[in-house]
Amino acid sequence: MQFHERNTGEQIMNVKVRFFARFRELLGTELIVEVAERMTLPDLIKQITQKNIEGHQAIFDEHGHFREYVIVMRNARRVDLADAEKNIVADGDDIAVFPPVAGG
Amino acid sequence: MIAIQTEDVDIGDLITAAKKHGTGAVVVFDGIVRDDDITEMELEAYEDVATPELEKIAGDATERFNLLHVDIIHRIGRLSVGENILIIIVSAGHREEAYGGSRFIIEAIKAGVPIWKKELTKNGGRWVPGEHGHGSGEPRQSLH
Repeated sequence: MQFHERNTGEQIMNVKVRFFARFRELLGTELIVEVAERMTLPDLIKQITQKNIEGHQAIFDEHGHFREYVIVMRNARRVDLADAEKNIVADGDDIAVFPPVAGG
Repeated sequence: MIAIQTEDVDIGDLITAAKKHGTGAVVVFDGIVRDDDITEMELEAYEDVATPELEKIAGDATERFNLLHVDIIHRIGRLSVGENILIIIVSAGHREEAYGGSRFIIEAIKAGVPIWKKELTKNGGRWVPGEHGHGSGEPRQSLH
């Protein structure tokens, strides 16, 4: 794990965020994002999507909540989006955001 | 063989290899790109999660249906009409187990393995909607 420090002494963490399928087309495949300490998972995704209206609206509803069909995995484990606000991202996290699966 | 790959496979070779000692039935499921007025189909997977999920499903099916052999090959990339998408081969002592195991595997894949399909048409493309829920269902046990 690598922590960087800004002049303020605030620790900065690196988090990998991946999008798949329609979300990938709108937002890109993979991002390495620098985040400040104590950032929640929803805030992280909002930060990434804030300049991409179509991508943001695909993932969040008008109240800023994850849309009902969105699936988020953190380090290969599915996140319960009802409790997403309790998820504080950590350095080295691998976040995946995707729409319902359709394999087979 | 459990794999997510671009290459096709020789189903005949897989059937031969599936005939383990005690086999009385082999069931082959071959999902194919259907001609729904499309030019091609594009598939992508979250492989870091999808491959372990397929291995878990194969293990669950083996235990539940006394399978003697399981192959699951899910292809990704661009596929033309008529090409194989998903090949599931199971062998068991009896047909009930083989049919049951094969059905269990395909339904589990459709329910929760992170793979997506996009139908490419002359006018662009459309993502195939999932059959199972909209992210509100119970996650598979192995994801916890």
